[in-house]
Amino acid sequence: MTHASASPRDEFLAGSRRMAPVLLGAVPFAFVAGVAATAAGMTPAQGIALSALSFSGIAQLIASQLIAVHSPVVVTVAAAFVVSLRFLMYSASMAPHVAHLDWRWRVLLSFLMTDQSFAASVRHYADAGDTRHRHWFFLGAALTLYTFWQASVVAGVLAGAQVPARWSLDFAVVLTFIALLVPAVRTRPDLAAAVVAAALSLAAAGLPYRLALVVASIGGIGVGLAIESRGRR
Amino acid sequence: MSVWIAVAGVALSTFLLRASFIVFIDPHRFPGWFRQALKFVPPSVLAAIVVPGLLMPEGALDLRPTNARLLAGIVAIVASLRLRNAMATIAAGMVALWGLQWVLARLA
Repeated sequence: MTHASASPRDEFLAGSRRMAPVLLGAVPFAFVAGVAATAAGMTPAQGIALSALSFSGIAQLIASQLIAVHSPVVVTVAAAFVVSLRFLMYSASMAPHVAHLDWRWRVLLSFLMTDQSFAASVRHYADAGDTRHRHWFFLGAALTLYTFWQASVVAGVLAGAQVPARWSLDFAVVLTFIALLVPAVRTRPDLAAAVVAAALSLAAAGLPYRLALVVASIGGIGVGLAIESRGRR
Repeated sequence: MSVWIAVAGVALSTFLLRASFIVFIDPHRFPGWFRQALKFVPPSVLAAIVVPGLLMPEGALDLRPTNARLLAGIVAIVASLRLRNAMATIAAGMVALWGLQWVLARLA
């Protein structure tokens, strides 16, 4: 809870504390992302740079998978772009709250924004009380997550070669996506989008460089939209 | 070298998407149909990643009951539906996979 006259320091610490339960899931996820980068044949410097600069578990994992199969750069970047499209939605939702800030603040907050810090900060902006320093809450949450995420990725990158293949740690990546997928399917059009995307991903599996992911995603989005607009008529 | 270019490209595209409306575009110019379409990004993209990971663990369709990843994935989906908790889902799936691999190794 933040009282009426929250200082930047109060806000920053409140944001930081709000991430404590999130770290429980993020730290092992980051470790797996680090292991995946090394397993993909990236050098430690490349694996750490990928994480430090893109700070997105899903984008990092997809990029690692594609680099592992020697995809052309264009395909790797396109796949990371598609899986990161949700950031457009977050950016549009956050923009009105931070519109009054200096551009350097806005660049910094954009760079650090993730699913969890976005969700916590948007909720905090809706709280009653003094909103003047709430960007410090956002920064506190985002920077806390960034610090723990990168430390865990570095551990994963360095441990990568030591983790035996029979532990099947790569399966933790699929499981992470299941943990995100199940709660994302809430409505009938969501379910239709998921089913069509799944079917297309199998049917198009023969396409090179995992282009099936891009094809299946676009097909799923199209079917979701079509079913939803029919339901409204 | 191409790995470094890919790293730069992935970093740039994630940043541009995050900064899109916060830094560059007036959010009032966010068209309604686009917001609708973005709603379907998570279920579509995630299903397209998960399903081949379960049904094609070796690159070819494998619906046999010896496909430990498929069975462990079903355990994880049920766990996620019941528990609504990410850590429990991952733990249930990993434990199921290790258990199934142990059993299948002894049956073979």
